[in-house]
Amino acid sequence: MGFLKGSASFVRFSVVGELPENSLDFIAQRVIAFSFQDIDETYDEYSIGWVSVLNMFDSQFAYASYVAGDYITLTLRIDERKVSPAILKKIVQKEEERVRREQQVPKLSRSMKVQIKERVRTELMRKAIPIPSIFELCWSLADSTLFFFSTNKKVHAILEDFFKESFGLLIRQQIPYTTAEHLLDDDLREKLERLSPEIFV
Amino acid sequence: MDLVDLIAEKRFLGQEFLTWLWWKSEERGGSVAIPGEGDITVVFEKHMLLESGEGESSEKLICTGLQTELQEARTGLQMGKKLEQARIVINHNSYEYSLTMAGALMEYRNVRLPKTEATENDKSDKPEEVEGMILERIYLLEELVRLVNVLFGMFLKVRLGANWRDELQMIRQWIAKTAVVV
Repeated sequence: MGFLKGSASFVRFSVVGELPENSLDFIAQRVIAFSFQDIDETYDEYSIGWVSVLNMFDSQFAYASYVAGDYITLTLRIDERKVSPAILKKIVQKEEERVRREQQVPKLSRSMKVQIKERVRTELMRKAIPIPSIFELCWSLADSTLFFFSTNKKVHAILEDFFKESFGLLIRQQIPYTTAEHLLDDDLREKLERLSPEIFV
Repeated sequence: MDLVDLIAEKRFLGQEFLTWLWWKSEERGGSVAIPGEGDITVVFEKHMLLESGEGESSEKLICTGLQTELQEARTGLQMGKKLEQARIVINHNSYEYSLTMAGALMEYRNVRLPKTEATENDKSDKPEEVEGMILERIYLLEELVRLVNVLFGMFLKVRLGANWRDELQMIRQWIAKTAVVV
């Protein structure tokens, strides 16, 4: 959250590469092709895709609602089924004990234990409700930059991959050094390359 | 150079920028003159994180407090630490932006944008008004980034220019003067 309301945390990315001609048609097609698919009614463990910045249940984007002026505004939604390790451990122990008694053996074999754990995990996973997380982005087509509203590095890596998959374009985080490269002329850029840390005391 | 190496090797650049900006903001009591645009106010407050060293030998110092002179942070500067994070309030054209800037990666955290009529009007169902609200938010975000980049550009010009030694001398004097002597 933060793009449209409240306080925002973000980083900037540069978008590297060219969009095809008719870029808006291309984007329209790709946004829909990579829009979010709900997994509430399935057994899938993971789903990732684009939804509207105004409503995380809108992945239809009627009237290209992701366009605002020269910007493309999208929310990256990730739904994931998770089982807490403590719950998994508890149910696995219970089940192991049940099977051991049933088979009347003093100890379960290693392969049996692995099998039980896998079965319990699958059962619990199916019962788990997918946890949604959403991250907004705002892409300026005019100057090929992105605002991405998360400072989490793992999410940055996910965005980099999914953005490339969706639009065939690479994105590169703007850190002070790369921002500086944009701001400077050739002469100073060369000096920047050779710059070493200064002692301020 | 690959981005991971760049981040590690050029980590100091953002930290030096923040340290310089703190000095710059105090040089004229919060006013910073922007070439071609006049004065803006840049005030450091509440929260600061200073860092020295790299990797396992790095040392961090966090200072927070509402009404504070940030004396510990100033002493940290004197010990050779640089600013890694700071809460900054920027005033420009009667718009007030506040943000926590993380220097090494240039992350904008907990950014508060000025409230305007359009951005507060988020209950509207009319698509054109919603688009207006979104565009206004984008404008404010772009404006904040532009201001930060203008300040960063000013720093880079001095840092890479011929007058850096003179500026550094003034920063060193400021650090020596403002730190608490126990």
